[in-house]
Amino acid sequence: MAHQAHPFCMLNPNPWPISGAVAALLTTSGLAMWFHYNTLQPLALGLISMILVMLQWWRDIIRESTFQGHHTLPVQKGLRYGMILFITSEVFFFLGFFWAFFHSSLAPTPELGGQWPPTGIKPMNPMEVPLLNTAILLASGVTVTWAHHSITEGARKQAIQALSLTVLLGAYFKALQAMEYYEAPFSIADSVYGSTFFIATGFHGLHVIIGSSFLLICLLRLINFHFTPNHHFGFEAAAWYWHFVDVIWLFLYMTIYWWGS
Amino acid sequence: MWKQIPGLRQISQRTISTASRRQLGNRVPEKQKLFQEDNGIPVYLKGGVMDSLLYRLTMGLTAFGTAYVVYELLVASMPKKQK
Repeated sequence: MAHQAHPFCMLNPNPWPISGAVAALLTTSGLAMWFHYNTLQPLALGLISMILVMLQWWRDIIRESTFQGHHTLPVQKGLRYGMILFITSEVFFFLGFFWAFFHSSLAPTPELGGQWPPTGIKPMNPMEVPLLNTAILLASGVTVTWAHHSITEGARKQAIQALSLTVLLGAYFKALQAMEYYEAPFSIADSVYGSTFFIATGFHGLHVIIGSSFLLICLLRLINFHFTPNHHFGFEAAAWYWHFVDVIWLFLYMTIYWWGS
Repeated sequence: MWKQIPGLRQISQRTISTASRRQLGNRVPEKQKLFQEDNGIPVYLKGGVMDSLLYRLTMGLTAFGTAYVVYELLVASMPKKQK
């Protein structure tokens, strides 16, 4: 069998990029069709195909790395750049929603009663569940760092405990936030306050779901001996993403929950 | 009574049978052997029958979905007849 004389990962041609693009087309068009024509089928088809593509594409990346050994140091370097660039793009995504919040809250219009929060809006008490959520995410940042140190030291049992605790804290945050959404005294339709609040915290919640799913996959891989003390980039990428989610929450808490109340 | 405890500890440490020990142990070397086999099969089909089933399901859904959404978009972009 011929061996390559370079350190780069030459992929087999595979169908995931094109089917991922189709899944994105189906999801976006399906969303528009759900809004305008009240049909759910294209959206459902889009979401199902998106999940199928993600599962298979990422399964193949695990095969190429852990089972076939293609993730040499130069390849890992490229993956690190890629993850950092992706997280940076997500930072800009949230920057837009923070801009929208400050645009409306720094100079409240007469229609809002010239004040922020607008007249009639009863904001959530930032010292109640939102403060608990802040503590939960900060604690999960500590536990994920503990997990990382355990992995680099080869302490398998501790790493599993720490990462499991991180995933559990993420689940606790999601449960509390869902309850807060249900019990909220205002809705997304309640003026620009409701819009900015639920869009910003809603997209953050989606990122918590994505981040904790990523961490859960890492936990399963950790249990199955995929990581070594020197090579565990999948875990590092998940940890970076989780810290990003935590930082976004801190900004949300300080601006929308606390200053904005 | 205290002399029985080391014996009990030995029994509790030896309760995992061989079959479940294989499941709990490190199966990465087996996977490495499977995926490094020189059989020309691409990585997205190399895991076995489940791979081709999932692949066919995904391709089927996306092919059907493409046709469906292009049709729906064409219909949505046509002007509706006003009475």
